[in-house]
Amino acid sequence: MKITINGEAINLDIDPETPLVWAIRDHLGLTGTKFGCGGGYCGACTVHVEGKATRSCITPLETVADKAITTIEGMPQNGELHPVQAAFLEHQVPQCSWCMVGQMMTAAAFLAENNTPTEAEIVNAMGSNYCRCGCYVRIKAAVTAAAETMQEAN
Amino acid sequence: MTSDEITNTKRKRRFWRPTRRQFLIGAGATGVVAAGGLYFGIPFARLQIAEVLDSGAGAPGGVDADPPLWFEIQPNNDILFHMTKVEMGQGIHTALKQIAAEELGAEWDQIKVVSAGTLRGPNDGFGTGGSSSVPTMYGPIREAAAAMREMLRLKAAEKLGVAAADISIANGIATASAGDNLTYGEIVADVTEWAELEETPVLKPQTEFEFIGKTRPRIDFESKLTGEAVYGFDARMDGMLYGAVVRPTHIEATFVSADISAAQDIDGVVDILVTDDFVGVVAESRYAAQKARDAIDVTWDTGKLWQQAELEALVSVGNGRATAIQREGSGAKALQSGKLISADYRSPMAAHAHLEPQSALVEVTPDLVTVHASTQSPSLVQGEVAEALGVEEDIVDVKALYLGGGFGRKLNNGSAVDAARLSAHVGRPVHVGWDRTEEFRNGYVRPLTHSKLTAKLGADGLIESMSHEQASGDVAFPFFPAIAASFLGADFGAWRGGRIQYDVPNRETVAWRTPMPLKTGWWRGLGLMCNTFAVECFIDEVAQVAGMDPLEFRLKHLGADEKTAQLKMVLQAAAEAADWGAPLPEGHAQGIALSTDVGTPCAQVAEISMENGRIRVHKVTAAIDPGLMINPDGVLAQTQGSIIMGLSSVFNEELIVKDGMITAENFNNYPLITMKETPEIDVVLLESTGIPKGMGEPPIGPIAAAVGNAYFALTGERLRRLPLRPTPPVADVAAAGDPTRGEEVYNQCIACHGDQGSQIPGLDYGLNDSEWLAKSSDTDIFDVIRNGRAGDHPDNISGINMPGFGQLSDQEIYDVVAYLRALP
Ligand code: HEC
Repeated sequence: MKITINGEAINLDIDPETPLVWAIRDHLGLTGTKFGCGGGYCGACTVHVEGKATRSCITPLETVADKAITTIEGMPQNGELHPVQAAFLEHQVPQCSWCMVGQMMTAAAFLAENNTPTEAEIVNAMGSNYCRCGCYVRIKAAVTAAAETMQEAN
Repeated sequence: MTSDEITNTKRKRRFWRPTRRQFLIGAGATGVVAAGGLYFGIPFARLQIAEVLDSGAGAPGGVDADPPLWFEIQPNNDILFHMTKVEMGQGIHTALKQIAAEELGAEWDQIKVVSAGTLRGPNDGFGTGGSSSVPTMYGPIREAAAAMREMLRLKAAEKLGVAAADISIANGIATASAGDNLTYGEIVADVTEWAELEETPVLKPQTEFEFIGKTRPRIDFESKLTGEAVYGFDARMDGMLYGAVVRPTHIEATFVSADISAAQDIDGVVDILVTDDFVGVVAESRYAAQKARDAIDVTWDTGKLWQQAELEALVSVGNGRATAIQREGSGAKALQSGKLISADYRSPMAAHAHLEPQSALVEVTPDLVTVHASTQSPSLVQGEVAEALGVEEDIVDVKALYLGGGFGRKLNNGSAVDAARLSAHVGRPVHVGWDRTEEFRNGYVRPLTHSKLTAKLGADGLIESMSHEQASGDVAFPFFPAIAASFLGADFGAWRGGRIQYDVPNRETVAWRTPMPLKTGWWRGLGLMCNTFAVECFIDEVAQVAGMDPLEFRLKHLGADEKTAQLKMVLQAAAEAADWGAPLPEGHAQGIALSTDVGTPCAQVAEISMENGRIRVHKVTAAIDPGLMINPDGVLAQTQGSIIMGLSSVFNEELIVKDGMITAENFNNYPLITMKETPEIDVVLLESTGIPKGMGEPPIGPIAAAVGNAYFALTGERLRRLPLRPTPPVADVAAAGDPTRGEEVYNQCIACHGDQGSQIPGLDYGLNDSEWLAKSSDTDIFDVIRNGRAGDHPDNISGINMPGFGQLSDQEIYDVVAYLRALP
């Protein structure tokens, strides 16, 4: 099976039904993508498939053949953090941070579509990613700030 | 130095073990040189830790034995700080580094925090939890750091041929007044003998602090936000395999037999281990391991098929063993006559739901067992793994990696034992990461609680007598030898937060210990939030009888001594910041509550309204006084996080047992709070003393009570059970509705309930059944429609899902109930 991950085409000779999250973490060694629930509920495993936020724990590998996948490892550009990562760092958002990669991938895909979001739109976009440590106040602030950076960049 | 060398050094050092007496005589400081660096630790620090723990409220265990080792100086002048406390999100690595940096005489970036393996670092038998890390480590780490700095000063003086007083130290460099200097790395090079200090070095006064008390960015965030940080679930080793273990489905199930024939043929399966109490698969990939595990046909003896109602009956005041944990004045005797006010409160079981399931990578070889795990207690895991394998503890090196949340669940780590057994079986490293269903069904849970409160007012309108009887499943006892329970009687984890804090002449708290048939244990704050919910809602009830404002009533019962004066200050600070008593928007109300835990008081004001029949929390204002704050932004983060985690319990969280099983299997039937329900949070940080106190749990105390009290203020209805599920605002629901409008609403129900309520899926009557309608109250019907009744809900009859219609407004539900009432 061929997939493209962070711009690199890779041949993976494993069970095509393998959930994408295991293919990425265990077979490709990209452990930045996290596993949380296996049912698509919590969002910890969110990656981009063709730019769309996708829950990799319920995405069988065979469904992404020949598609472009981006994980957190592919987010920095030219050695610089993605504006969403930079904002999460600046706002000291995480606690344990297990969910944060999924939060950032969700936010980045959302802001790529809409970089002038209202507060309600942010809450709606981020409203199905769990954070057990309860960092929601800071996540909201960081996504708002990242939107501003992304507007300026345009 | 390679890790083998370190291990060897360490093993040798086990035989070189000065006695406590020697340590004390030697003013406490001892260094030992190993290849490539100075290992350094201080025994008196260790003794202090043990002392603090012994005197702390119920903190178990102690730090026992073995050469302590905190700092290691490297030739390149880096200082490795061997950290025994684990980073699970609470920011402890940053905070302890700040504490060490204050006395090390080194630059911030020079200090590198590394996780201390159980064969390398100081032995920390207590683990990370109980909001204890900063309070217990604050003194010892500063002393260790200062002692090392002074020993380096002496050695530098000797090497440079000057007096010690002639040496100044900064940035990890010792400089003589003449200008000659040596880095720490250079001082340490080639030294084999270290003089012990004659006296404990004087520590920097607080006024000169450069690191402590200043907000510092967390040292772990950059790697966490780029995905590079390694957690237990991320651990990797060459040649590793993946394991998955079959778990019992029922809470009392015992293993009978397993048929592994189908599983064996699955591609990628390496081996399957079946013993008389364990069935586990090892495979080339995690997917294959889990697939094979699911293909194993296991026969269980299910044991008793417990129901939720039976568990609640079990955990009730009056059952089990009672131990008084507070009795002053005439205690509860004063409540035998007169006008008594009383109420009952209950809280459900809850899951920790840390988002990183527990996980471990273990490699078993004949003389070394290496464990990389997500654990709050490497030393507990060391013992468990050694026992499971039948080896000595001192060949088990447990290294804690980052934890994706702990909340009390990761004190033990069953996955390390799983992985150790499987690795021993196949002779290769094995990683086991639990899945979400294992976490929900096979962990330990926050136990049920029941509280019975009684009070009597005196002639002055203040509380003259009050009693709190509290029943709970075990919290701390499951982790101690049985002797502890018979000796202590009451489980200190279960009653945490349950004692009456207010100035009341006659007061009594009694804990009823009612062990449950499923595993129960530590959950953030232990009993704190649920006990505070009961006590602080009840105080509001009494205030209402007394005809007094809840804040004013509380203030009148605080301030008689220093401790309650501190509570009073925190309460006032929260009330002031929240503008208590000022006019609020239409339909809003406030509630207030207070708790104190590990010496840290916290007060919160919740402002709520109702939205579609649900409580909407708009804002929580908190005041907290943790004493000296090491990293103020960390204190803020813990407060915000505790409030949000607590609200998740207030709105949603409830583990249910049905037919002997925990019904939750994933987040679809155990949802957590999201950003959508998160309120604005305003925090006032107070610092009334120069001593740091616990911070990770105290702010979860008041939240449930604050919301419950706000709900009462808004509606006049008292909710005495968590999660808070408001009943509909009108008593006569059908009369408030309009059947014609209801018919339109009913269009959404036709698919399942047929024309004019002719059927209920799976049942032999319809919604138009006159017998059913007669025996059902309006509010019951309202409730089912709004909240639904999941297939696994204890009240569900058919086993089929009735979806909730929370999106309907109260009025629409009144209308549809009126429509149903008009059907027959
Ligand atoms: C997807 C199917 C489905 C839909 C849609 C549905 N229900 Fe139900 N409902 C059920 C099932 C199944 C039960 C039985 C639950 C049980 O066994 O306890 C039920 C039970 C009920 C009950 C309780 C009956 C009892 O015996 O206690 C009421 C009341 C009810 N539904 C009202 C409604 C209303 C009003 C609507 C529309 C707003 C609705 N339902 C929509 C499936 C549905």
